[in-house]
Amino acid sequence: MAARNDYHRGFWAEGVPFIWISGMAVLVLLAIVIGFLGLIFAKGAGHFWPAPMAQVTLKSGSSVMGPVMETEAIPHAAATRSLFKIGNRDVYGLDFRWVDDAAVEKREYPPDAAVIERSEYGDMHGFIQALREGGAVTARAGPDFHPLLEKKIARAAHLKEEIKKAADDVEHAREPLAKLEVDIRLLEDGSEAGTPEAALKLEKLNAEYDALALKLGDAITVPEQRIESLRKELDAPTLEVALADGQVKTMPLKDVRAFYLPNRMGLSAKAGHYLCKVWDFLWTWPRESNTEGGVFPAIFGTVMMVFIMVVIGAPFGVMAALYMNEYAKPGFFLNLVRLGVNNLAGVPSIVFGIFGLGFFIYFIGGGIDRLFFTDKLPEPTYGTGGILWASLTLALLTVPVVVVATLEGLAAVPRANREGALALGSTKWQMLWNVVLPNSMPGILTGVILAISRATGEVAPLMITGVVKLVAELPVDAGWPFLHLDRKFMHLGFHIYDVGFQSPNVEAAKPMVYTTTGLLLVIVVTLNLVAILLRNRLRKTYKGAAL
Amino acid sequence: MDIPMTAPMDAAGDVAVHVRKLSFYYNQSQQALYDINMDIRRQKVTAFIGPSGCGKSTLLRCFNRMNDVILNTRMEGDILINGSDIYKEGVRLEALRKRVGMVFQRSNPFPMSIFDNIAFGPRMRGMKDKAVLGEIVERSLKQADLWKEVKDRLGKSALDLSGGQQQRLCIARTLANDPEIILMDEPASALDPISTAKIEETIQVLKEQYTIVIVTHNLQQAARCSDYTAFFYMGKLLEMNVTGRIFQKPSVKDTEDYITGKFG
Ligand SMILES: Nc1ncnc2c1ncn2[C@@H]1O[C@H](COP(=O)(O)OP(=O)(O)O)[C@@H](O)[C@H]1O
Ligand SMILES: [Mg+2]
Repeated sequence: MAARNDYHRGFWAEGVPFIWISGMAVLVLLAIVIGFLGLIFAKGAGHFWPAPMAQVTLKSGSSVMGPVMETEAIPHAAATRSLFKIGNRDVYGLDFRWVDDAAVEKREYPPDAAVIERSEYGDMHGFIQALREGGAVTARAGPDFHPLLEKKIARAAHLKEEIKKAADDVEHAREPLAKLEVDIRLLEDGSEAGTPEAALKLEKLNAEYDALALKLGDAITVPEQRIESLRKELDAPTLEVALADGQVKTMPLKDVRAFYLPNRMGLSAKAGHYLCKVWDFLWTWPRESNTEGGVFPAIFGTVMMVFIMVVIGAPFGVMAALYMNEYAKPGFFLNLVRLGVNNLAGVPSIVFGIFGLGFFIYFIGGGIDRLFFTDKLPEPTYGTGGILWASLTLALLTVPVVVVATLEGLAAVPRANREGALALGSTKWQMLWNVVLPNSMPGILTGVILAISRATGEVAPLMITGVVKLVAELPVDAGWPFLHLDRKFMHLGFHIYDVGFQSPNVEAAKPMVYTTTGLLLVIVVTLNLVAILLRNRLRKTYKGAAL
Repeated sequence: MDIPMTAPMDAAGDVAVHVRKLSFYYNQSQQALYDINMDIRRQKVTAFIGPSGCGKSTLLRCFNRMNDVILNTRMEGDILINGSDIYKEGVRLEALRKRVGMVFQRSNPFPMSIFDNIAFGPRMRGMKDKAVLGEIVERSLKQADLWKEVKDRLGKSALDLSGGQQQRLCIARTLANDPEIILMDEPASALDPISTAKIEETIQVLKEQYTIVIVTHNLQQAARCSDYTAFFYMGKLLEMNVTGRIFQKPSVKDTEDYITGKFG
């Protein structure tokens, strides 16, 4: 009898080993999550911190300068080597270089070492020596040199803005002329070219063109002249920089975006610099085939795509679930539909992409083009990838999640609430709309949350439905009709792939991959948090309902 | 056995619900009610008693066709309300349920404000005028004896009310529809004695205006607040009479056994 009791209370009956195993499983999971996040943020977050510039003189006599990225043991040898980011890609070809630590004669941190951020060829590392204008030296390195340089750089940026504005003016003034040019070209190359009527028309158009050109005259030439003089001022100043190996390089000041002296910076200066860089990363366009600059268009594209997807996909999924749960007759066919919806979630996402390409882009988009954009054909407008089609494809991909969650939400609405509404004389639809749907809102939102997480991370189907590595314009801008759903867009997930694996400069792109991944995670979490907060508010309202 | 199934009518206009040869089946063949005949009197309280599972709720739900919601049910016989057949083709369920209100065993306020709960019925029928709705809400809450307790918090969630208040809210919600008949399915069975007493008081006031049918497990309750009592047993109506008579001199043995607590 005693033995029996022991058996029931003992080691196995209490499930001690299983409790341990399940605890371990949670621990492993936690370790994976923390390790993953830790890796991403450790590698990504340091990217913008201004690292000290080391200058090493090698025993061979040559000199290398730049921040040390990492130090590792040389395989099969009792020595170490360090990776320097040497910059000056235009001079050295590569901007990273391994240096054997044994070959180093001495290592210093010269206070005047400067990092010059350029609009091309990445950073330049060296010592800024002088500012020249038209050959003559206007300022040399000295006490007031750096503030002056900063002012000049700001001036150059301002000049660029002015030139752009003036160019816009010219284009605007020329608009009627440009229209005539198109007409003339059409007449010259069109099917009726050469016929006497065409010649007559052509002559008339040409005359009209000349008259208009004369009339517009000043409106075009004034800004054109202004551009000319602005350009002259912009092109004049050049910067003289001595590289670590003694070479002296001269470059136009207009190519300089900013410069800083990391070895002179204190902690607060570095922190300020860091914040500026993070800000730039979030709000500016990419440069240098995406390895530098910001990711703003990718953030914008990702968020907007998810937004369109939710706006279109969620109501669709909710309506489908509503019909399935409330109106469709239970039976074989309904079960088949349920099975289909559940299994849709298991279809590889690239298949959805192919479907999107075939159905949305070629069939629907092509149809729209043939109906409404005939004048632009054969150049497609909607018949090519764009943010609308990508969003629709993802909506399709995530709709099963919404349907399943909504079905669960609907089933969880207490029968008492349904009967209560009916007993008060409401129709079935009134009951669904006023009582059942609001009650199942938290469940629906759970589905939307899952859909958002899934959609934000998808890349494969987007690659064939409208994502590109770089865009000139956002899908929303000030130009009519403001919302350009036909435009291609950038996406953070694709950006990571592109920067990490398609970049010509892999080493330079590496930190960018981590930083962008971190950012993508932050966005997923933020979008989720918004939905979760919304759900919690609703839960408070409907706390009586079984959720 | 003298079962006054068709109690003699004082006058034709005295009968609110007229049940003729009613049989009811769940799942097509599982019979829950057998050949029920009864008349329910206008502006009186009629209590349905009987052991659980004997079909009281099923019959009650036939009166506002709530059983239509359940799949695979079948009904035979007729129910006439004010002389017209409610199972006739073309009867609008919404109109019927407005006239025949129902209060459920477990209070089921919607997760909305108190005001919105009460205004639900009128709103569903298209009433939008805020002033009129306000009047309806006030009147209904007063009738259900809840006005004093909630008049300052009409905008607050109805789910924050106590159980007894929630049930009176459900009564008020039904009253807002201005029904003729109110069906109550064990309205106090989940409530404490004080809340139960309040509901019973409310019923006493309401019967001046409405015809009330109440299902109850509580025999004292039936004795206290009903004018007529019907005793059901295994899907059959065994006896129906003036309440006093049922409790003092039941004519059926089973009724007596039930009332004296020999089973049930
Ligand atoms: N939805 C239903 N489906 C099948 N059988 C039901 C359903 N509702 C009630 N019944 C059956 O019908 C009989 C009467 O039930 P009910 O009217 O609820 O009894 P009461 O209210 O008197 O306790 C019971 O045997 C019960 O099991
Ligand atoms: Mg019952």
